[in-house]
Amino acid sequence: MPCRILLVEDSALVVHALTLLLELAGHQVGAAGSVAEAVARARVEPPDILLLDLTLPDGDGLQVLEALRAMDAAPPVTVALTGHEDRATIARCELAGCRAVLLKPVPTRELLARVAEWEGEVRAAR
Amino acid sequence: MTRVDTTSSPFEARLHMLEAQHRDSTRLIAELQARDALKTQFLANISHDLRTPLTAIITHAEILRDGLLGELSDRQRESINGIISGGRQLLGMVGEILTYARGQANQLTLNPSDFAFEDVVRQVSELNEGLIAKKELHFTVDLQPGLPELHADRDKITHILANLLGNAIAFTPPGGDVWLHARAEANDSVPELLVEVGDSGIGISPENHALIFQEFAQVDSSPSRQHHGTGLGLTIARRLIELHGGRIWLESELGQGSRFYFTIPTRADG
Repeated sequence: MPCRILLVEDSALVVHALTLLLELAGHQVGAAGSVAEAVARARVEPPDILLLDLTLPDGDGLQVLEALRAMDAAPPVTVALTGHEDRATIARCELAGCRAVLLKPVPTRELLARVAEWEGEVRAAR
Repeated sequence: MTRVDTTSSPFEARLHMLEAQHRDSTRLIAELQARDALKTQFLANISHDLRTPLTAIITHAEILRDGLLGELSDRQRESINGIISGGRQLLGMVGEILTYARGQANQLTLNPSDFAFEDVVRQVSELNEGLIAKKELHFTVDLQPGLPELHADRDKITHILANLLGNAIAFTPPGGDVWLHARAEANDSVPELLVEVGDSGIGISPENHALIFQEFAQVDSSPSRQHHGTGLGLTIARRLIELHGGRIWLESELGQGSRFYFTIPTRADG
């Protein structure tokens, strides 16, 4: 069974590129462009890995994780994908429970290697 | 004793005029500061927004490079690598503008950790190996044995060193010398690291020493200049060094190479 990834990102260009990359690596990828859409989608198809952009049109990406946690539906792995790598952003993501904070554009080899690592953990926990 | 009659009309008129000028100047300064803040915010916004299409371009190019959409010929891979290098260079410049804008808005903070300066030197040296070999430069590293561990922002120290070494390489003709020295110093009993990045390159005349630390300044700013960049590198390096509580200065003469020095307290908490 392929790993289910939910990519939360409001740029269609970035969604297209990352979806292509992750699908080529054999993952099943869904996308959402806002906090509301991400929460709704995660409720219907719970992802194994949640890749979160922080700046979304209707709020902060971390609100997705907070909302899912409140519904007891937090995904096994949540990772922040961000354009900021300042101390405050990293601390905020860690506090919210993100496994990692990756700076965009994440080198594709690194992203695939990290996703494979998390996929292994998810499978082991199943 | 002569008394000045402050009620006389010429004196009052002059006083009123000066007061009016003062009010105008104050208003103008406030207006200029507001515009400068807007410009800084614009720079921060635009540099953040530029990252988005760049992310897509670089990701697509890396997908192609790695053969995920089929094997490439050597020439095709070479071309794709050109797109990736150009994209990453542009990303670096965009990042530089963003760092500058944050610095202007006092939004830069330190994220300190404990690390060995030697590791940063190794990382930055490795990154520049290709360029050094291409220009056949003689690159020497001389670090005092047993340098104390640094408690500082590793990414920012890496940025500073990469900028200074990058400049040394860029402004030194092929076959020249580039060096990096570091030793521990006790400054007012606070131990600090003294780093020298030197080169035998084109040098900088003393009247331009202050200019090169100013934003957007390049000694040669003509369109035909040989060295391109945002002109923010040294401004940012100085800001990052000062954020750590250190200092930066240089010794250089035109045609005599340059020696940039900077200090970093071994424990910088920001």
